[in-house]
Amino acid sequence: MADLNQLHDAVLNGDAKTAKAVTEQALAAGHEPLKLVQDHMMPAMSEVGRRFECNEYFVPELLLAARAMKGSLELLRPLLAAKGNEPVGRVALGTVKGDLHDIGKNLVGAMLEGGGYEVIDLGVNVTPEQFIAAIKDKKANIVAISALLTTTMPAMKTTIDALKAAGVRDQVKIIVGGAPITQTFADEIGADGFSESAAGAVSAARKVCLA
Amino acid sequence: MNFNQLVLNSPRRLALPISMSPGLALTGAKVSDIVTNSQAQLDAQAALQQRYQSPFVLGAMDLSVEAEAFGCTIAVSDSEVPTVTGRLITNQEQADKLAVPQPGDRRTGVYLEAVRLLRQLPGQPFVFAGCIGPFSLAARLVGVSEAMELTIAEPELMHTLLEKCTDFLTNYLKAFRAAGAHGVIMAEPAAGLLSPRGLSAYSSVYVKRLAAEASDEALSIVLHNCGAKLLHLPAILETGLKAYHFGAPMDIVGALGKVAPDVILCGNLDPAGVFVQSPPAETTAKTAQLLAATAGHRNFVISSGCDLPPNAPLASLDAFYAAVKTANQ
Ligand code: B12
Repeated sequence: MADLNQLHDAVLNGDAKTAKAVTEQALAAGHEPLKLVQDHMMPAMSEVGRRFECNEYFVPELLLAARAMKGSLELLRPLLAAKGNEPVGRVALGTVKGDLHDIGKNLVGAMLEGGGYEVIDLGVNVTPEQFIAAIKDKKANIVAISALLTTTMPAMKTTIDALKAAGVRDQVKIIVGGAPITQTFADEIGADGFSESAAGAVSAARKVCLA
Repeated sequence: MNFNQLVLNSPRRLALPISMSPGLALTGAKVSDIVTNSQAQLDAQAALQQRYQSPFVLGAMDLSVEAEAFGCTIAVSDSEVPTVTGRLITNQEQADKLAVPQPGDRRTGVYLEAVRLLRQLPGQPFVFAGCIGPFSLAARLVGVSEAMELTIAEPELMHTLLEKCTDFLTNYLKAFRAAGAHGVIMAEPAAGLLSPRGLSAYSSVYVKRLAAEASDEALSIVLHNCGAKLLHLPAILETGLKAYHFGAPMDIVGALGKVAPDVILCGNLDPAGVFVQSPPAETTAKTAQLLAATAGHRNFVISSGCDLPPNAPLASLDAFYAAVKTANQ
């Protein structure tokens, strides 16, 4: 019999092996995939985010928790899809063109997945065309863009402008972030949301979708 | 005179912005010249020194040069400092086999030569070399994001790399001293992303060791960590060094309250926020604010929290130095 608290703790402690094993056991015992995600993994990731915000967790702990969650999600995702459980939203996530920083982006991706979103990670140095393709082909309804360099911040605007030119801007909500990004800058370039933290990215995504 | 004596005996407040790029506006050179040509570094520093009469000159901050010497491939551009691409090491076996390079290998020779040239500047300024710290170097070999996870998932792999990085850096520091450097600013940015415990085990232990071997009265080590917060300070002080340089996340006034009066702290104006995104008047105001907040601390040296980005305008640096001058009047 699978102890589901173990799933929560394995994600929280970044123990990918245990997370996967418990997920397998739970599925074999007939537990609902959606419940595993909603009742155990999402609360674990939200606790991870809280600990990160108050300096109890740091980048390594958060990345390992994300890895543990991903391992379980890989098992669960096909089952969720087969049952018609749609994710809360589909996010095309990437670091803007010219920029190779991905730690912040990865943390944001992890928190979004932990918040029930499906994340299409486009990686770093992402061109506007790649974002557009993710909207068209993968049906992303949120675009999340990260930039860490003052020299690559303008590429966020270029990306948003390219989305407009391609006629897909109105199909998506756009959230932006990264150390040099401010709410003022986000407003200036016409983004819908901004957050300075990874946990805040989830609230930002929720907020823009309600707007 | 070592760095600490110079600062503590100074009758006025000193400034040490980590700036090479603004010098390019004066000499017309490109970033790609700086990182391949020691004369271009000399020219940029000479131009800055002439403009601001700073007691310090610096070799460029290039955190790809040591990793390249280990065999990493780098991407070069005209306008940015090179950056490491891909991962040189992906497993323990590769780490075990990794050969330790010699100072002078690849482009490290440019930086050693730059120090020799800087020593010939008139006015005998204090010459700082720049280099990477052991954890940040190991992280570049194995991938920075990956290194974060490996500190918990595969400590042995990280320690194997750290041993080799520390060996190289010890020799590199000795070579800088032989070339005439008075000090070295050692940048350990990736360590600022670790927990205090992680920072202690993966950075401070190794910095302490290499400082014990390579540093003496004649070579001051200033340890730079642009990501560290106040809660990291005790772990950083475990290095036992006498001078530190912090970035914007550090509560510098809080930190000054926690270190001995003969330990120098430098920092911590946000390079992007204060020097690129603010108009000069605001740069002046923020510089003056920090000087006012740290007034009375003779062991504080005002600086940018990290290397100034290539697009930082010269006008910002003018504004910074003007504010320091005003505070000294
Ligand atoms: C690690 C690092 C690197 C690593 C990156 C490794 C990697 N895989 O990501 C390496 C060594 C490769 C690197 C390279 C460079 N770097 Co760098 N790097 C850093 C460093 C030390 C930490 C960045 C980081 O990961 N922070 C931790 C994460 C968690 O924070 P974050 O990214 O801000 O993300 C958080 C929030 O911003 C937010 N967020 C982030 N993205 C998003 C997106 C959305 C949608 C939302 C809602 C929120 C959000 O949530 C995150 C979690 O809380 C910083 C300095 C520092 N101490 O901050 C410099 C820094 C960012 N780098 C800098 C520079 C200049 C460079 C280089 C140009 C230098 C060089 N040539 O070597 C190159 C550029 C290469 C390129 N083209 O991108 C400068 C940028 C200055 C500027 N603003 O212009 C910094 C600030 C250092 C400095 N000089 O001051 N760097």
